[in-house]
Amino acid sequence: MADDTDAATGPDAVTDEGAVSDGDAVASGEPSASRTRRGTDRPTRRRFLALGGAAGALALAGCSAQQTGDDGGDGGSSDGADGSDGSNETDGDDGSDGEGGDEETPTLTVATYTSFIDAPSVSPGEWLKEEFESRVDAELEWATPDNELNYYVERAASGVSIDADLYVGLTTEDLVRVDDQLDDGLFAERGEVGGFGDVRDGLLFDPFDRAVPFDTGYVSLVYDGTAVEAPETFDGLLADEHSGALIAQNPGGSSTGRSFLLHTIHRFGDGGVASDGDDEAVEGGDGDPDYDYLDYWADLQANDVRVLGSWDDAYTAWSNGEAPIVVSYSTDQVFADMEGANLEEHQIRFLNDQAYATPEGMAVFADADEPALAREFMSFMLEPDVQGQIAQRNVAFPATDTATLPDDYAELAQEPAEPVTFTYDELQGSVSEWIDAWERQYAGN
Amino acid sequence: MDFEEAATDAAASAEPADAPPAAASVDAPPAVELDGVTKRYGDTAAVDDVSLRVREGEFFTLVGPSGCGKTTSLRLIAGFEEPTAGTVRFFGESVAGVPPEDRDVGVVFQNYALFPHMTVGENVGYGLNFADPPEGVTRDERVAELLELVDLPDAADREPESLSGGQQQRVAMARALAPGPDLLLLDEPMSALDAQLRERLRVQVRRIQSELSITTVYVTHDQEEALAISDRVAVMRGGTPEQVAPPRTVYREPASRFVAEFVGDNNVFAGRVVDVEDRVTGEDGDATSNGDETSNGNETSDGVTRTAAVDAGGETLRVALDGAADVAVGDRLAFCVRPEYLRIDGGENRIRTTVASAEFLGETTRVTLDWGGRDLVLRTRDPLSGEVVVGFDPEDAHLIDGA
Amino acid sequence: MTDRRSGAGEASTPDAGPSRRRVRSLRDRLEGRLLTALAVVTSLTLVVAFYYPVGTVLIEAVVVDGVATLAVFAELVRDPFYFGELARLFAGESPIAVARALLGPDRRLGIVGFTAYQAALSTVASVALGLPAAYLLARFEFPGRRTLRSLTIVPFVLPSIMVAVGFVATFGTNGTLNAVLSALGLPPVDLMFSLQAIVIAHAFYNAPLVARVTTAAWESVDARAVETARSLGAGPARAFLDVVAPQVYPAVLTGAALTFVFTFGTFPIVLALGGFQLATVEVFVYRLVRDLSYAEAAALAIVELVISLGVLLAYLRYEARNTVNARGARPLPRRPLLPAAPSAREVLPRVGLAAYAVVAAVLFLAPIGSMVLASVTGGDGALTLEHYRFLVDRQRTGAAFQVRPWPAIRNSLAFASAATLMALPMGVVVAVLTTRRYRGRKLVDAAAMAPLAVSGIVVGLGLLRGLVFGVEVAGWRIAATGAVAIVVAHAVAGYPFVVRTVAPGLEGLDRSLIESARALGASRARVIRDVELPLVWPGVVAGAAFAFAVSIGEFTATVVLATGADAYTMPVAIERFIGRRLGPATAMGVVLLVVTGLSFVVIERLGGEHRGL
Repeated sequence: MADDTDAATGPDAVTDEGAVSDGDAVASGEPSASRTRRGTDRPTRRRFLALGGAAGALALAGCSAQQTGDDGGDGGSSDGADGSDGSNETDGDDGSDGEGGDEETPTLTVATYTSFIDAPSVSPGEWLKEEFESRVDAELEWATPDNELNYYVERAASGVSIDADLYVGLTTEDLVRVDDQLDDGLFAERGEVGGFGDVRDGLLFDPFDRAVPFDTGYVSLVYDGTAVEAPETFDGLLADEHSGALIAQNPGGSSTGRSFLLHTIHRFGDGGVASDGDDEAVEGGDGDPDYDYLDYWADLQANDVRVLGSWDDAYTAWSNGEAPIVVSYSTDQVFADMEGANLEEHQIRFLNDQAYATPEGMAVFADADEPALAREFMSFMLEPDVQGQIAQRNVAFPATDTATLPDDYAELAQEPAEPVTFTYDELQGSVSEWIDAWERQYAGN
Repeated sequence: MDFEEAATDAAASAEPADAPPAAASVDAPPAVELDGVTKRYGDTAAVDDVSLRVREGEFFTLVGPSGCGKTTSLRLIAGFEEPTAGTVRFFGESVAGVPPEDRDVGVVFQNYALFPHMTVGENVGYGLNFADPPEGVTRDERVAELLELVDLPDAADREPESLSGGQQQRVAMARALAPGPDLLLLDEPMSALDAQLRERLRVQVRRIQSELSITTVYVTHDQEEALAISDRVAVMRGGTPEQVAPPRTVYREPASRFVAEFVGDNNVFAGRVVDVEDRVTGEDGDATSNGDETSNGNETSDGVTRTAAVDAGGETLRVALDGAADVAVGDRLAFCVRPEYLRIDGGENRIRTTVASAEFLGETTRVTLDWGGRDLVLRTRDPLSGEVVVGFDPEDAHLIDGA
Repeated sequence: MTDRRSGAGEASTPDAGPSRRRVRSLRDRLEGRLLTALAVVTSLTLVVAFYYPVGTVLIEAVVVDGVATLAVFAELVRDPFYFGELARLFAGESPIAVARALLGPDRRLGIVGFTAYQAALSTVASVALGLPAAYLLARFEFPGRRTLRSLTIVPFVLPSIMVAVGFVATFGTNGTLNAVLSALGLPPVDLMFSLQAIVIAHAFYNAPLVARVTTAAWESVDARAVETARSLGAGPARAFLDVVAPQVYPAVLTGAALTFVFTFGTFPIVLALGGFQLATVEVFVYRLVRDLSYAEAAALAIVELVISLGVLLAYLRYEARNTVNARGARPLPRRPLLPAAPSAREVLPRVGLAAYAVVAAVLFLAPIGSMVLASVTGGDGALTLEHYRFLVDRQRTGAAFQVRPWPAIRNSLAFASAATLMALPMGVVVAVLTTRRYRGRKLVDAAAMAPLAVSGIVVGLGLLRGLVFGVEVAGWRIAATGAVAIVVAHAVAGYPFVVRTVAPGLEGLDRSLIESARALGASRARVIRDVELPLVWPGVVAGAAFAFAVSIGEFTATVVLATGADAYTMPVAIERFIGRRLGPATAMGVVLLVVTGLSFVVIERLGGEHRGL
């Protein structure tokens, strides 16, 4: 992944080149609190105009709020013709899909997280759009709502049309959350997707066969090799010499933080935290049933681990030398190399030779206007050259065995000997409890 | 009518009550009418069922101690407050719901309330933003005219702050008058000024009011000011007017003990009636006859004055009943005698007193006398000390309610 | 007696209104209704852009699966994790036992208690750091004073990530402060990831708020009152205590109350500089919303809201009781910064200010300086302009769907200007309505302050539901997004500042000034414009600056409502440019700093120093 997407929130970027913003119209009104300070020496008419202007501006705001954005509400054929998510074309904005546009050039609206299309370093969005449009007679429109997938969950829950064809960037947890929240499926079955057979087996995270993985990443430790030699095991992090050495992220708000927490659960077991009475506990890989992840975190906390809010917070603090080890991605050196930084300061450590895998998938919305085109896009995403480009531009690992990648890619983008991850079934009904229990222990005041 | 005389020499002569001011026609509706007006704040009524009529062109004063409802009444007229019950009418029409800016009133406050961010001229001209100056007069001319009227012809460009209190008050007056209001409302406009200035200014206010013949409602707690300046006075107490009358009536014939004591110095006596008699006051002198104790004797024929003997503080004092009361032996009776009617070693009723204190006022001396633990006040030109016998005639006593 | 009708009355004919002789033109009539109209528009705006959207979220706390229930609340308040020892009280234990536990050494504050605790500390720190600045700005004259005053609000608009960058670079283990300390032979300080770091960061944001609000009040103190006190024999200290302080207290408390409310709802900065062990309520609201656990999130948000509004209400009651009547005429003369005479009374305050300047430089300038430095520092530590080059490149070559710097600047300025122009009348109207005397007006006032007190995360979700998705009416879905919606949302977020900076002044205004103007024929709206606002002008300008700042710094609502690629703002751009390297984001942060700094200077110049006296 190019950049962490947690806490990272951006506006939904819709590709329309907009007309002059309505803000200009509002700005033309003077407030009634006119700055005229002398009470008597100016003609009153001018003042009245000023007052009228303010009222007009207010009226305009209210008015256009009502004019815009009716979705028709009848679900007719015109519904959703302008595919951009949540976009309400301002008056006179003829946009990219005018009359008859559907017949000639269909528009595919692809929803994703912002850094997939707009990161300061690299992101695959632009290349994918150009490439797809050159191969398929269609227009691709990106939609990146601030709330990411939750935005579509909200739309579905509120009974508003989805206004996008597929979502790119699903995780196992996302699926669990969506399925918990919505009775009706948000996503359609995978259907026919070319190249699906090439996806690596270990990455198929959707038991209901909706999501198609397109890349994966690993959450590992990144450390400054000039300052410290990171421990090789989880237990090593508890050593005195690594007191205050680790910066992690809030599992409630950061996906790297969450992955790291899940990794500790995977390692030490959950101690039955999420057993909801059936006494079934997740067994840890450490083989000690009496020592669970909360025990481990208690020890970590005693050893002065820092848990900051977002990946940005953590990485900023780490970069400034607040601590030598940070929870991040195993692709860190790819970026470091791009920036010409000293790779010695960007070392990767897989604790116990493991890393938590975070496969990313894509799925077609059940409500999609262009389901066929969406599947065509998914097939396109799995093509070997595209897989290679995604991996490089999203700084991740391909989902297929057939990706074309530069030979030296693996030198900087490291994969653990043993990727670990929780399955959909393991996460379902557990992840909230795990985090809740962790929060209560860690932040108990 | 001669306001000056009425205003300055109220006590000098008795006048029939409620003489209408010269200009007002009897049939015309009053310029301002409060009809059963009540204003409540929470549980307390600041103004309690007040009915008043102010005639067109009249200088009408609301006077009373603080909390008597006079200012609230003024605010109800101005429209700053809406009555809880009752109706305010201007020229016979209800102004309920009419905001202050639509009532055509000019208001002057105690603290002048000049806009500190405007010049004097801007202050005076402010109301002309909302009402055109008279035909053929420009705005600037109107401002100049008003400043001329208040004797501040050169103040237009000055900042209000640079003026003295009295000057500011006159500017406030000019400002209130500039739009040509129907009604001028003055809320204790002089109480922040020193005594001398106050007297000068009130003459000026009265002059301006007379010149413009503008209906004026004036609020003050200063009874002297009220008597000096008004055509009629409403003495207020506890949210209700106790007496509404021309100044000299209020002074000479207070309707209640409260009015008697509030307006001017007064000596109030109270006691039980021990005797009632009719006196013949004709050419043949003072023949008297004992009255029938059980009679209601309120008819007094010409030349016969009915008097009562009242046992007050151990002295028996005889007071004229003026044909007003159905007084019988055993009733309690209160009456007052103005200081100027108390005479040293004179009068029919004699009281032995001791001088308690004396204030030299220049023309006269105000002497406080101790009469068995009660204070009496009299005015004299002569120095007094020690024991003094004072007295008054029965006709100089005025019966009051509230014994 | 006709001669007295020299005014308009003469020409008029009796019209519909009883005893109305003044000719009222249509213009006047409309103006007369203006206040009512503005009040109605303001209320509608608040309902549409705030109360309804927020309501859609908060209601989830008490309506779960379509059934009304208090179970979520009951569970929440009995949870010691959130309420500490107080939870036992809610759970039915005796108050005495709870009181004893609270006084005990092992007491648990709970998340809510801790949040209030750190907010209280932050408030104290902000007031302590803000007051000297207000003293300096209100009472001394020196070159650049007006500019400095304008710039005080700049920290207010900085995105938390920028502040975090600046703080780590300044107060971190390897930060500037420690470098200076070690150069001076002093031991290093370890400030990061502690309660102190959070409190200092909160002071960084809020001390300027306290300073700016207080400065406005201090500048409105009438010199005559002080002169009167002095003439009555009061020494300078006594005159200050008796005359100046009572007029400045309410403003200080305004700043304090707002600071408490803000820091009570604090979120990203706490985790960035403190760490999760110092998590506040809002952190959990965020997590719960993210996990779609709306019932619990809404319940927590309501707890936040109740506490914040409670503080505001307490403050408002105080404000109402302690307003000092003022005529707002002539401000106190400023003193030169250089002492006129070497007397203790002349020198001591200036020495104090000099010491304060050092502290302020460390706390306010150093983090900003570090941020600027980061924007010109390359990966190899050498000075470079590459990050600014990135901005230029992104502007030139960025894809249409990507965020580019110039539209962000343009939108920020346009939205902020429009939002300010909208927030001013809204704020003034609410200030006027809440300074009238009627029962429950303080409740209305507190409710009007709700946009400050509601969890930002809940507001964002509410706007999504209420505005972006809209409301279905008779088969039509009415929704609002884009520039207009953003402006409205920003105005709603900013107008409480206008209320709070304007209302105390209005409340203190001599009623007779207003009544005089009305009796002279001015409508209520006219009086506000001709008399009231000019007399509380410093507060109006301060309110305008805050409304502008709120809009510039706003993020949550903006990202929710921005529909097209051209509706993003500078904070969004900064957020978007954050990558592994901080350079591009800090460069954009410096752009934000410069643009907003200039804007504040322009606003205050437009606003004028004083009321033109």
